[in-house]
Amino acid sequence: MQMDPATENRVARWLDERLPMSGVISFFSKKTVPRHKHSFWYYFGGLTLFFFIIQVVTGILLALYYKPSPEQAYESVQRIVDEVPYGWLVRSIHSWTANLMIGSLFIHMFSAFLMKAYRKPRELMWISGLLLLFLVLGFCFTGYLLPWDTIAYFATLIGTEVPRTVPIVGDWGVSLLKGGEEIGAETLSRMYAIHITILPLITLVIVGFHLLMNQVFGSSVPMGVEEKMPPLPFFPNFLYRDLIAWTVGFTCLIALATLIPWGLGEKADPLASAPIGIKPEWYFLPLYQTLRMTPASVFGLNGELMVNGLVGIASVLWLCIPFLDRNSSKEKESKLFTVLGVVLICYLVVTIVLAYTT
Amino acid sequence: MRNSHDTSGSTIQARRDFLGKLLGAWSVLVVAPIAKVVLDYVTPLKGPDTSKETIRVASVEDLAPNTAKVFKVNKEPVIVVHTQSGQYKAFSARCTHLGCIVKYNTEEGPPHFSCNCHGSQFDINGKNFDGPAPRPLNPFRVMLKDSSIFVSKT
Repeated sequence: MQMDPATENRVARWLDERLPMSGVISFFSKKTVPRHKHSFWYYFGGLTLFFFIIQVVTGILLALYYKPSPEQAYESVQRIVDEVPYGWLVRSIHSWTANLMIGSLFIHMFSAFLMKAYRKPRELMWISGLLLLFLVLGFCFTGYLLPWDTIAYFATLIGTEVPRTVPIVGDWGVSLLKGGEEIGAETLSRMYAIHITILPLITLVIVGFHLLMNQVFGSSVPMGVEEKMPPLPFFPNFLYRDLIAWTVGFTCLIALATLIPWGLGEKADPLASAPIGIKPEWYFLPLYQTLRMTPASVFGLNGELMVNGLVGIASVLWLCIPFLDRNSSKEKESKLFTVLGVVLICYLVVTIVLAYTT
Repeated sequence: MRNSHDTSGSTIQARRDFLGKLLGAWSVLVVAPIAKVVLDYVTPLKGPDTSKETIRVASVEDLAPNTAKVFKVNKEPVIVVHTQSGQYKAFSARCTHLGCIVKYNTEEGPPHFSCNCHGSQFDINGKNFDGPAPRPLNPFRVMLKDSSIFVSKT
């Protein structure tokens, strides 16, 4: 049944008197998206958000059956996969989406970097975006242990040992992550709590901030790029285009989740040696390969401490890029930072390939 | 007569500054104990120290020459080896690099310990000789008594 226009107006007025949203709607309706030869890269921000929404929905569904204890975790995941209707699909989608979300996030980050989208006044957008990347890596790390299979166990064992090299607070940090001296029931509870409560809450706040910044400042147009056409209204024009990107992303996801269902290995045995050729997921491979290539001692320094220290320093520098790249903020060319970005991308790709092939 | 509530602009500002500082101090006083409580809460509990206890891990028949097994000794995985020459040795099975469980490797070269995670290698005495491991495996003491193997921390 269709409402007649007079009634519709009355309802709208009634609602507006009690929930005055017209200002907010008008603020959001002004959003536009620039059109130029690099506009394609804008879709990856929305695609990442789309994957995040899928993670929230499938995560809630998995939590209905999952039991976070070493005695029951593996069996509960097995039950989800084997017995719960479409459980295998929900789990497979959750695992594959994590990978696609990181892929999309990396593309979004590097495209923003190479288009110098971090330059004034979008410094806080860059910082919040990078914090979201760290949070997503945190999601992946904490979620990885939950199935309690062999690879999950060893990945967490190695990952939780990494902070140990940090002077003074290293040991405390490791025991805080593990909930004790070994990977066990306390570790699983902690990882689960962080994965389903702490990280989602922080992420929601930062995603909200990131989107608000995007609303206020709009998408950045790269320096020297000519806008040949007027900007596209976000509602509904760009949103329709976004929906096409989401549909493509969703199709790829469903194809992967159904044709290559995410597996479940053997149940973790804390006394067994790690399987030969054990490797972390692709997004942690650059760190894994760098650790593998670094000798135990470099110029008398602990090699692992050095790698972790360098990664920490590099992360802080990457976070501070908008303040380091002074030229871009003055709308001047900054080739050095473009080269830096390309070198970093090459390093990540080469270490990932090396880790898979050697 | 001057009203006791009359105050000049500078007095109001001074009062606001003072109240601002008071609020800051109050926040610290409130936040600090809460932070302490939260930190204490999330710091794992320490159980009784049983690390010095001697534990029976197996009988001698369980470990043929040139084989090794990993046992849990006071929460620590310990690899006990019965060497080709008939000696018994025990080390923490945690690789000193990032904590993976090492295995007794008799397939490549003389018997040694290797870690599948990042390729660290340790000789039969636990000394690191290849890969990123920064130090030898932590040794444990092995004792044989009444056909049983006992292990304790050195």
